Amino acid sequence: MTTSLDFAKSNSQRFEDELIAFLKIPSISTDSAFNPQVREAANWLLAEFERIGLSTELIEMEGHHPIVYAEWLGAGEDSKTVLFYGHYDVQPAVMEDGWETNPFEPIRKDDGFLYARGATDDKGQFFTHVKAVESLLQADNLPVNVKFIIEGEEESGGEAISKYVKEHGEKLSADVCIISDTSMQDIDNPVIINALRGGITFEMTVIGPKQDLHSGMFGGTVHNPAQALAEIITKLHNDDGSVAVAGFYDDVLELTEEERTEIAQVQWDNVDWSEATGAPVPWGEEQYTLLERIGARPTLEITGIASGYYGEGSKSIVPHKAVAKISCRLVANQTPDDIEKKVIKFIEKLSPPTIKVEVKKLRAGALPALIATNIPEMRVAITAYENGWGATPIFKREGGSIPIVSDLQSVLGLPVIMMGFGLNSDNLHGPNERFSLQMFHKGIATSIHFMQEIATLPSIEATEQ
Amino acid sequence: MTTPQNYLDDNMPKFITQLKEWVAIPSISTDPERKTQVRQAAEWLAADMISMGLENVEIMPTDGHPVVYADWLHAGDDKPTILVYGHYDVQPAVIEDGWDNDPFSPIERDGVLYGRGATDDKGQVMIQMKAAEALLKTGSCPLNLKYLIEGEEEIGSPNLAKFVEQHQDKLSADICLISDTGVVSKEQPSLTYSLRGLMTMTLVVSGPKRDLHSGGFGGMIHNPAQAITEIIAQLHHPDGRVSVPHFYDDVLDLSTEERETLALSNMTDEAWQGVMGNLPDWGEDGFSRIEKIGARPTLEINGIASGYAGEGFKTVLPAKATAKISARLVANQDPNKIFAQVRDYIMEIAPDTVHVEVLEEHHGFPALTPLDHPAVQAAVRAYEANFPNSPLLMRGGGSIPVVPEIQRILDLPVVLLGFGLPDSQAHGPNESFHLDQYESGIRTVITYLQEVSTI
Repeated sequence: MTTSLDFAKSNSQRFEDELIAFLKIPSISTDSAFNPQVREAANWLLAEFERIGLSTELIEMEGHHPIVYAEWLGAGEDSKTVLFYGHYDVQPAVMEDGWETNPFEPIRKDDGFLYARGATDDKGQFFTHVKAVESLLQADNLPVNVKFIIEGEEESGGEAISKYVKEHGEKLSADVCIISDTSMQDIDNPVIINALRGGITFEMTVIGPKQDLHSGMFGGTVHNPAQALAEIITKLHNDDGSVAVAGFYDDVLELTEEERTEIAQVQWDNVDWSEATGAPVPWGEEQYTLLERIGARPTLEITGIASGYYGEGSKSIVPHKAVAKISCRLVANQTPDDIEKKVIKFIEKLSPPTIKVEVKKLRAGALPALIATNIPEMRVAITAYENGWGATPIFKREGGSIPIVSDLQSVLGLPVIMMGFGLNSDNLHGPNERFSLQMFHKGIATSIHFMQEIATLPSIEATEQ
Repeated sequence: MTTPQNYLDDNMPKFITQLKEWVAIPSISTDPERKTQVRQAAEWLAADMISMGLENVEIMPTDGHPVVYADWLHAGDDKPTILVYGHYDVQPAVIEDGWDNDPFSPIERDGVLYGRGATDDKGQVMIQMKAAEALLKTGSCPLNLKYLIEGEEEIGSPNLAKFVEQHQDKLSADICLISDTGVVSKEQPSLTYSLRGLMTMTLVVSGPKRDLHSGGFGGMIHNPAQAITEIIAQLHHPDGRVSVPHFYDDVLDLSTEERETLALSNMTDEAWQGVMGNLPDWGEDGFSRIEKIGARPTLEINGIASGYAGEGFKTVLPAKATAKISARLVANQDPNKIFAQVRDYIMEIAPDTVHVEVLEEHHGFPALTPLDHPAVQAAVRAYEANFPNSPLLMRGGGSIPVVPEIQRILDLPVVLLGFGLPDSQAHGPNESFHLDQYESGIRTVITYLQEVSTI
């Protein structure tokens, strides 16, 4: 009899082709112009789940991109249930950002990577579990019940999924939740993420004169909004790199010595830093290591600024307004609501009387997440990696946000295991995003092993702590 | 015999139609993709020059956009020669900037023409052309005329100085006349005797080699968008003064007399609110609005861009940030020196956590014309004859880079006979020109040419 691992192996080419078809759909959730393509991706996925034998539902919520739900409960009530979360939406991408090939024409290159927007974030990563389930169903057997909840708004706030989890938690009940939307430094050292930063984003607009003015006729008499914006942004940080917003760090948990040791296990020195970033020298809160700054410290970043004319040539104007997009990354136990109030209040206090300043929250914030590393489900995951990946994973705190993780943790009470199959060098959100095909297949094997192993764990009651 | 004034009365509708035709050509010199349209605007002008009776009309090549030249030299050697300078290129404009109509489909509404270039400078070049047409067509042109109309004023006239130098004999004249400045109002003409210079630069701050995920890397890299604001915020003192060391060293102080003259033309609160809304004044303490604009240098941020600022949100840590910076300079300041000062200061305050580059763009010197020159006094009389009030004597805040160049190379006085109105929105959306002002302008230039022919 063919095993599920054999099946995955003999179908590997087909699995890649299917992923490529999926990646071709530009499901950019942050830009309403792409709404039809977001829906197209949802429908594609729905059909794929049905094809492999799952029953499906397209969950519609007014004003939101649909959520794709699929389940197979054939293992029976006494068996374990695994909930897989992923997202089928992607970040914006255009050739002009520096792509070498069209971001929505996936291409397998000789380096063993598949290049496309969404390749690693997150279509390629969650697709490993779809293929693992298909392999188990097609070969020997699927020993657990499975549920997939794949959303279409992760890149634009995840408001719908958050609401759905809170309102329909019962439908998603499970024993463990698996999420693959994170990354590792190199293929031989897999990583399980046990902490994520939360986040909240803002848009700040500085408004001056009624329209752009001739800088000769009016320059020097009116507070230039581009300059005023710069003056405000400058005051958001202290000279030592810490955020200047009053009370910003009040709820931040300080690291224990044990945690600092665990974080230090990840290989990530200044050479890696320089290679990954290309920036001259590190920056930030000096009393924390680079990994601690990312995993255990909150930030306030300027993700975009626009004012006046910045095209080719020059335009001698005093711009009438200036806009900045601001992102705060939060750590346990900060809450987006609290930080929202503090940031808005602080900026309003900084605003000079010579211009108008408007600050608004851009989308619902996300709570940070922190998951204990000593629970049985984590042990199963370690074994699955050892058998499926061929290496023992280490724990790492991630700097990014997956808004759903804290909801699944707090609302459903599930242990969330972040089995990331990406590489830090995958350029997620940037140009030339890619995904290692070797890791795609290792991910499928690891997922198969996990489902087989978790099925043998003693009952929940016995393991509950 | 038809007088030039009669000719004007009969032909005003035609003059308006012609102006609309010319404004409709998007001669945006800052945009390399508009090269054909820039050329088209030059050809339109050359054709009009020929039809009005000017001679030796030529579209003369430069390393950039061409110069349109024409002359009429039949008044006799004993009569003065006037060199008229203007420009047929315009600032960029797209309807998304807030225009009520397509900037290159000019429309007339309540006696006002809306379109890019209506005031700056096509409308004002046409004032010069149509005044000459009225004189030539009625056989009453009292002096010799030369025209130098360029297509690169909005990009800082990079090729004009060389052109003027190469054609010194051809362009030699007694007075240079330019209509590219403004007046206080339709009732209150004004004569600009000083212009600010201009120095523009681009500041580029780069950090990571590409945009990074703000979650994956945020907090351990100096964000270039943040770093650029830190640099920009250090360019001014909190009181509005430019903080670049020695920036003000060469600025000439205003005399009490000149301050009194300028006070007559200070921008009123009403005019201020018309443009600024309810914003309070900003800038150097101890100087009036007109003094800040005309007699004090500035350092302005014309634009900044970094990361993603479109609809929605992109969680990037931007790889770089760019700012367009310009300085307006006053008499006695040298743009080369100011560029070096600003660059050196920026490099000095630049943190070592990012790469900082300052790129030089273009330089124009400030200019000052003696108020007691007969050519200037003739301008005062020309305004007085065609407007209800005597002109105010003013300092302009803008730059016409070629003015100091022409002064230097051809060694002649430059008279700025401007007609733009404060609400004309030059460089902004809904640029306009009042058509009655267009007509008054033509009448004033006719009078001026008649007045100046006797000196």
